Amino acid sequence: MKRPALWLAVFFFLIPLSLIGYRVLRLGYPLLPTSPVKAWGLTMEIFFETAGGNGKEIEIRAGLPESRSGQTVIEQRDLSGTLRFNIMPEGLNQIGVWSGDPEEGRVLSYRATILLNPKRLRKPKPPGPESFPAIIGDKSEQILAKRLIERFASLKAPEKLKTIAATAKGVWGEPAPDERDLKQWSEIQKKYGAEGALLILLRLVDFPVRKVQGFVLAESVATQPDRWIAVWTGQKWEHIQPETGDLYSESVCLLPLMIGDTPLVSISGGKLQEVRWNLSKQTLSQWRAHFERIYRSGRFLDRWSLFGIPKEFQEIFRILLLVPIGVLMISVLRNIVGFPTFGIFMPVLMALAFRSTGLSYGLGIFAGVVLMGYLLRRGIDRLRLLLVPRLSFLITFVILAFTVFALIGSKFGVREFMAIGLLPFVILSMTIERFFILIEESGALQALRTAAGSAAVAAITYKIIQIDPLQLTFFVYPELLFAIMGLLLLLGNYSGYRLSEILRFKILGEKS
Amino acid sequence: MILRQFLSLRKAGVLGMNRRNAEYIMRFNRRSSFPLVDDKLLTKQLSLKHGIPTPPLYHVVSHHGGIAGFERALADRQEFVLKPARGGGGSGIILITDRRDGRFITQSGKMISKDDIHYHISDILSGIYSLEGLEDKAVIEGLIHPDQVFGKVTYEGVPDVRIIVYRGVPAMAMVRLPTRQSDGKANLHRGAVGVGIDIGRGKTLDGVRRSGGIMHHPDTGELLRDIEVPFWEKMLLMAAQSTDMTGLGYLGVDLVIDEKDGPLLLELNARPGLQIQIANRKGLLERLEMIDRAPKEIFISLEKRIAWAIQNFAEPNS
Repeated sequence: MKRPALWLAVFFFLIPLSLIGYRVLRLGYPLLPTSPVKAWGLTMEIFFETAGGNGKEIEIRAGLPESRSGQTVIEQRDLSGTLRFNIMPEGLNQIGVWSGDPEEGRVLSYRATILLNPKRLRKPKPPGPESFPAIIGDKSEQILAKRLIERFASLKAPEKLKTIAATAKGVWGEPAPDERDLKQWSEIQKKYGAEGALLILLRLVDFPVRKVQGFVLAESVATQPDRWIAVWTGQKWEHIQPETGDLYSESVCLLPLMIGDTPLVSISGGKLQEVRWNLSKQTLSQWRAHFERIYRSGRFLDRWSLFGIPKEFQEIFRILLLVPIGVLMISVLRNIVGFPTFGIFMPVLMALAFRSTGLSYGLGIFAGVVLMGYLLRRGIDRLRLLLVPRLSFLITFVILAFTVFALIGSKFGVREFMAIGLLPFVILSMTIERFFILIEESGALQALRTAAGSAAVAAITYKIIQIDPLQLTFFVYPELLFAIMGLLLLLGNYSGYRLSEILRFKILGEKS
Repeated sequence: MILRQFLSLRKAGVLGMNRRNAEYIMRFNRRSSFPLVDDKLLTKQLSLKHGIPTPPLYHVVSHHGGIAGFERALADRQEFVLKPARGGGGSGIILITDRRDGRFITQSGKMISKDDIHYHISDILSGIYSLEGLEDKAVIEGLIHPDQVFGKVTYEGVPDVRIIVYRGVPAMAMVRLPTRQSDGKANLHRGAVGVGIDIGRGKTLDGVRRSGGIMHHPDTGELLRDIEVPFWEKMLLMAAQSTDMTGLGYLGVDLVIDEKDGPLLLELNARPGLQIQIANRKGLLERLEMIDRAPKEIFISLEKRIAWAIQNFAEPNS
C-alpha cells in the first residue's frame, strides 16, 4: 500500500466520522437513522354549550403542548368550525384560544403529533424570574410548617426534596415529630389538599416549584389532566406526584400542558360539558421524522441538510447518493472478483432504470430489446452502414421498441412497460453493438457470459440502491460519500489477485 | 481457503491483473509513450529509424476519400495484409493471399468482393476496431510467409512470438500458434495455442489453449515441445531494443519469422496479457522480481541484459 493513498483514505474516513460524531453527540441525531422513532398523538376534544342563544361570542382557552428540550411538536391540526383559532404563548404556556360565534358547532378538536427524542435533552435550564405559586396558609400554619421542616435543614437539596415529598404519605422519619404537630398538620393536609400542604413545605425551604397539569405519556383516554409538582433542585427538575409523594422516575415521559393554577381548559360565555384527551403511540415514517426535526432546527448543519431542498429534488438525491455505492460495488466485482461486464458503468445505469420498471420486468425488457436489436444488427450488417449512422440507427430502433412496449403496456395496463422510457437507450444501443461484435469475435458463449455478468451486477446494484434504510442513512449523512471515496482509494491500491484468477492460474498454483 | 489459494499463487510467483496494472504498467509505462505502440504506423516508423526490421509498408488510407484510390496504390500486388493502425487483440485484420477478377481471396480461402473490402476499410476509418473508438487509419502492408519451423504445429495463418521485456531484459517468451478455431489468427483469446519458449535455449516448452495445458497441436496433432526457434538471440535483441526505442519499461513485443526476411517486428503492446504465464507454467512476477534484483551493471548495455536473461532464465531440465 502506498503511503500517500493510505493517508488520504484515512483523511477521507475521518471527515464523515467527525461530522457524524458531531451530529450524533451535539445535534442529537440518531446513531442509526433507521432506529424506530417514538411519537405520540394527542387528541383533545372539547364538548361545550353556549350560555345564551345564537350570535353570542364565546372564548375557550386550553393549554397545548409545546416544543421544548426532548420533545418536538411536529404537527398541529384543529377542527374549529366557525371559531377562530389562535395559538399564543402566555408566560410558560402555549395557549390555544378559540373565539367567535360557534353557530351550530358544540365540539372542538385539536390534534398534535409530538416527537420524543430524549437524546436531544440539553442541560436543563434553571428557572428564571417567574411567579411561583403564592405562599398559602396563615401565620400559625406557617410556623407549624417551619417547625416541622427544621429537622431537614442539614440535608442536601435532592434528599431534602425526597424527604419532604415523603411527608405526603405521613412518613416523617426518626425521631418522629411531636404528636400534636403531626395531628395539626394532617388538618392542614385536609384543608389545602395534599398538593397544597406539599407546596407550603417546599416554598418554605426555598425550592422553586411549579404546579403542572398535563399527562403521563401512556396510551390512554382521560377527562382530567394529571397534576404534578415540578421542583428545581439546583441541578434539574424533579416531578412529584402530590397524592403519594413519589417522585416520577426518569424513564417516565411527562407531557406538560399548563404550568400554574389556571385550569387546563376554560370557557367564557358558555359551559364546558366534557373535555377528553386521547393519547396514542404513533409510528412515523423515518423520512417524515427526520424531515420534521431537521426542518425546524436552526443549527448550521441542519440548515445545510438535504432535507432543506425542495421535495421534488430530494427524490433525485435519495437515489443519486446511492450511485456511489453502485460504482463501489462495480469496482469490487471487477477488481476483486473479476466479473466480466459490458462497459464499466452500464450495469449501474441499468440498475437505476430498474427502479421504475422493477427488476423482473427490467431484466426481461432489457433482454428482449438487446435480442431484437442483435437480430436487427445482424440484418443490417450486410448493408455496410458507416459507424455513426449505424449506431444512430440502433438508437432509433431502441426508441421504436420502447414506443411499441409502452403502447402494449398501455393497452394491457402494464405500468412497467410504460415506464420503459427511462431505460438508458444510448447504453442499450451500445450494448447491442458490443454484444454483436463480441459474438462475432469471441463466440456466443463468451457474449452470453458477459451479458449474464452485466445482468447480475445490475441486479445486485439495483437491490442495494433499493434498500430504504441505506437511502435514508446517506440522505441524512451525505458525508458518507467521503467514506466511499476512501474505500475507493483503498480499492484502487489493491494489487492482489482477483478471485477469478484462482481459476485462471490454477495450473500454476498447483505446481508449487 | 481463498487466502490459501492466493498464497499459493503468490508462492508460484504469478502476476495478477491488478498488480500488473498498478505496479508495472502504471509505474514503468509513461502514458505519453502509449501512442508509439498503440498506433502501428508510429511503431513502424520508429522501428525503421532504429534499424529494427518490420513487414514492408505498402499504403495507408487515412480518410474516406482515399478508399477508392486504394486499389491503384496496390498496383499489381497480389497479396497483402489490411489492418487498422490502432486495432487491438487482432480484430479487423484481413490477410489477402490472392486477387482474381477484381475479387480478393483471404488466407482461409474466402472470396471477398471489392465492395466488402471498401466497407471494411470504411469501418476501420470510423474507428470500430480502434482501442478508444477514435478515428483510425487503415494500413496495408506486406504479407508474411512464415518460416516453416512452426509449420507442423500451425493451422493456416502466421504464428508469432511474444516476448515480455521488463526494464530492457527479456523476461518471458511464447509462440502463438493459430488453430482452426482461431481462424488462422494468433490471438489466444480466439483459441490460438500458446507455447512457452525457454529463454535460455530458445526451445519450445508445453502449450496452453484457453486455460488448459496441452502437449499437442489440436489440429495437426504434432508435439509442441522442443522445437528450436531460429534467430533466437536476434529476436531477444530486437525485443530488448524495443524498450530502448519506446521508453516503455513493461512491454510485450510481437515478432514473426519470415522465410526470406527472418525475424520482423510486428507490433508492440504496452498492456501485454498474462496468459504467457500459463504457456510457460511459470509465474511472471518471480521473473520480474529477479530482474529487479539483478546487478546494476547489466542495465548498461543491450548485450549484457540479453546475456543475463539467457543465463538466468534457462529452464533447468530441458
